[in-house]
Amino acid sequence: MQAEVIDNVKFGLISPETVKKLSVVKLNVPDTYNEDGYPIDGGLLDQRLGVIDPGLVCKTCGARAKTCPGHFGHIELVRPVIHSEFSKIIYMLLQSTCSACHRILLGAEDVQSLKDKSKGIVALEAEELTSDEIVEANEEADARKHAGRSLLKKVRGIKKCPYCGAVQAKIKFSSPTYFYIGDRKLKPDEIRDALAAISNDDLRILGIDPDTSRPEWLILDSLLVPPVNVRPSITLESGERSEDDLTHKLVDIMRINQRLAQNINAGAPQIIIDDLWELLQYHVTAYFNNETSGIPPARHRSGRALKTIAQRLKGKEGRFRYNLSGKRVNYSARTVISVDPYLDIDEVGVPFDIASKLTVPFYVTEWNIEKAREMLTRAEYPTILNLTSTDGKRKRVIDTNREDLLKELKAGDILERQLVDGDIVLFNRQPSLHRVSIMAHRVRVLPGKTFRINFCVTPPYNADFDGDEMNLHVPQTLEAQAEAKYLLEVKYQVFSPRDGEAIITNNEDGITGMYFLTQDDTRLTKDEASYILGIAGIYELPNPEKNGTYKGKDVFSMLLPKGLSLDIKTSTGPLRIVDGRLVEGVVAKDTYGKGNNKLLLKIGLEYGPDVLKQFLFASSKLSDAYVTFSGITVGVKEYMTDSAIEKARSELLTSTFVQVDDKISQYKTHKLEPLIGYTRRASLERMIIVDLNMAREKAGEVLIKHISPSNSAMQMARAGSRGSIFQYEQMSMFLGQQATLTGGRIKRGYYTNRVLPHIAPGDVRPSARGFVQTNYYTGLSPIDIFMHAVGSRGSEVYKALLTARSGYLYRRLSNALQDLYVEKDRSVRDTGNNIIQTIYGGDAISPVNTQFVKLAEKSEK
Amino acid sequence: MVNKSDHEIVPVHEILKLKEVNELLESKNLRLENLPKIFESDPQCKKLGAKPGHVIKIHRNDNGNQYLYYRVVVEG
Repeated sequence: MQAEVIDNVKFGLISPETVKKLSVVKLNVPDTYNEDGYPIDGGLLDQRLGVIDPGLVCKTCGARAKTCPGHFGHIELVRPVIHSEFSKIIYMLLQSTCSACHRILLGAEDVQSLKDKSKGIVALEAEELTSDEIVEANEEADARKHAGRSLLKKVRGIKKCPYCGAVQAKIKFSSPTYFYIGDRKLKPDEIRDALAAISNDDLRILGIDPDTSRPEWLILDSLLVPPVNVRPSITLESGERSEDDLTHKLVDIMRINQRLAQNINAGAPQIIIDDLWELLQYHVTAYFNNETSGIPPARHRSGRALKTIAQRLKGKEGRFRYNLSGKRVNYSARTVISVDPYLDIDEVGVPFDIASKLTVPFYVTEWNIEKAREMLTRAEYPTILNLTSTDGKRKRVIDTNREDLLKELKAGDILERQLVDGDIVLFNRQPSLHRVSIMAHRVRVLPGKTFRINFCVTPPYNADFDGDEMNLHVPQTLEAQAEAKYLLEVKYQVFSPRDGEAIITNNEDGITGMYFLTQDDTRLTKDEASYILGIAGIYELPNPEKNGTYKGKDVFSMLLPKGLSLDIKTSTGPLRIVDGRLVEGVVAKDTYGKGNNKLLLKIGLEYGPDVLKQFLFASSKLSDAYVTFSGITVGVKEYMTDSAIEKARSELLTSTFVQVDDKISQYKTHKLEPLIGYTRRASLERMIIVDLNMAREKAGEVLIKHISPSNSAMQMARAGSRGSIFQYEQMSMFLGQQATLTGGRIKRGYYTNRVLPHIAPGDVRPSARGFVQTNYYTGLSPIDIFMHAVGSRGSEVYKALLTARSGYLYRRLSNALQDLYVEKDRSVRDTGNNIIQTIYGGDAISPVNTQFVKLAEKSEK
Repeated sequence: MVNKSDHEIVPVHEILKLKEVNELLESKNLRLENLPKIFESDPQCKKLGAKPGHVIKIHRNDNGNQYLYYRVVVEG
């Protein structure tokens, strides 16, 4: 079938005639049901407006609830009202036309120039336009918009109509629906007469197409009433009926309409009629948009504002964004995630409740029909939920029809079986910023109510377990399953598409254990070695030492593939692996994959994804087992300092301050040699900052020198599993310089350019500019806390702004690039076959593989 | 005055002969419009005297990666 191509969409107004044509019934009873609970004829739930209760027949089309599309009715208003959503256009029209002869208040010349600009709209109406002409017409239409605006400006100065000479009184508009000439209020019918008198030619100049939108149609005397399908009533448990907000509002309109009619017929005084007329206007305005500025929102009995037409469409939860653009899919599940170190890195733990509801299609063939029969026979868990036979009929399998379905089962039927262990599913965490935000996992059905994943796959999803939720999708075709399995599985995603570094790797406890285990002096008894290797799923022991113990390094080596060799430098010293045996060095975070140390890369390159996955899983288990066994704990005691450290700290601070004071005095005596490109003042500032940074670096060295190597916090920092020397410094030495957004020292806040009143103006010493010399362990003085708070607030604000800005930038970039692909000739193209790059990246190397390339180059040398 | 387009970091541009253009489009399964564009007013086009419809071959060198880039001259 050839899809229809829409080449333009045009919006217009509904004329009173169209309203009558669309309407199937004129409503005149401002109520819904009579005492018997039956819809009143001519009421707002008249049965001619369509039926929604099952069993009833529509009085208009004769169809039942499911097939009746609903029919519009209408209300005839005894006095016309203004359509409030268009009052700005009405105002523009009234301002720009003569109040007597209703022509545009411009001379022939100005009119001609506007006509030239408004050609666009005429061209648009002509059929058979080439694309260039449409572009041109659109540009002109834009120009015409501006013409409308400039027209108003021109008209404002005109006091007299250039055609009939009538003096123009100023028209005032007050939102939402009040128009005045001088002090006299313009009634809607007067406005309608004025609008109706504007000629079609004049309207075209003003940018209005009179064929589809006559301005007098903006004044309503009949109101279209939407079918009941649009505003269904709800029956509460108590049997009470509750009507839709729109129905409520329509009742209000009809009540006032009826009262107005009675008063007019009874010859009531004009003031009363005008009041009721105004009230009718209010109700109609609220019916269209209950958030119109200038009117109090109509409220429900409970005090809740009514949701009228505009509220249904508007905003995030409105019809457009929520229902039309918002897409929801079947065969998916979402729940909270939690950790499970017993799951392999490419598995996902699926709660039984979810597994028993999600289904995978099973295509029955003559070769697997026996298996199909067996599954269909089963009544409990791994069973069939639905059956689609060859004639396309889908049936739910229940105990009562199982026998019949079994008899009819034949090749070509499609069964929907429950999710079982080993099924391939897609797992996703939003925001899906890069391709590893969606990966394929293998299902493990587990008790409980959360999805469970291995801790190692946490970084690609950027997930943690403080309440994060994730989505799961079940691929429904064999093709999709195969794609997921061979392209998206976790084991193929270990290396990041950004730079080729390992993104799925051991973390925290998975590193700490390795660090302890591979220390030079680690020895394990046979029991211990067997125990932790057993947990890692390895049932062999390495060769023992002479005294019958096992070296930690040898235990670790059991994870390494045979034949692996590696000779690298790590942050913990050189590391050497010879033929799958760790002979020298300690395994830490950067051994796995950061920087130049590429244990994972080497394994991935030489042994493939399966061995790599196996290694990651086994090493995280081994590490967890060993930390559990050896134990590690961190408390305040790690951060306590002895007198030696205290002394080193105060010496460091004193010498730094002496240095800084020296620079300041040099500056004051004009002896300070300025840095190239800096003023004397800026040079001093930079030199001070350099000195203070130096102090921070030295503080780290002091700590490393004085703190026992067995200090747990220090060990974790060295292993790279958690924490850093810098954080240790802040707790045991001093907080250091607090910086502002721009990276400079804090220098203002109080008047005369100082931070706090006790600081002398012009004082540039460290203590006056936010250098905190106390630490978290000994505690901060009030002034230190203030300085620290200035710095913290700055970085917090910066972080918030940065994430918002860079997130949006990244989104725009990835959307712009998302349909580009690499062609067989290695050129980058878009969907229109346009060349973007002749060779991908200039060298045709995928970033994922850049690390492999580097490794290969290294071994060549 | 120094002519910036003669500077060593400006890649070498040359006009492709009609035959070469056809071969290029043929081998890459392209139409002329699919190529990236370059304005007629570009200093390199002016220097070569390239007119709309000509294809410019650019000898690029990014950190030692040498490759060819093609642009079709357009009005402007």
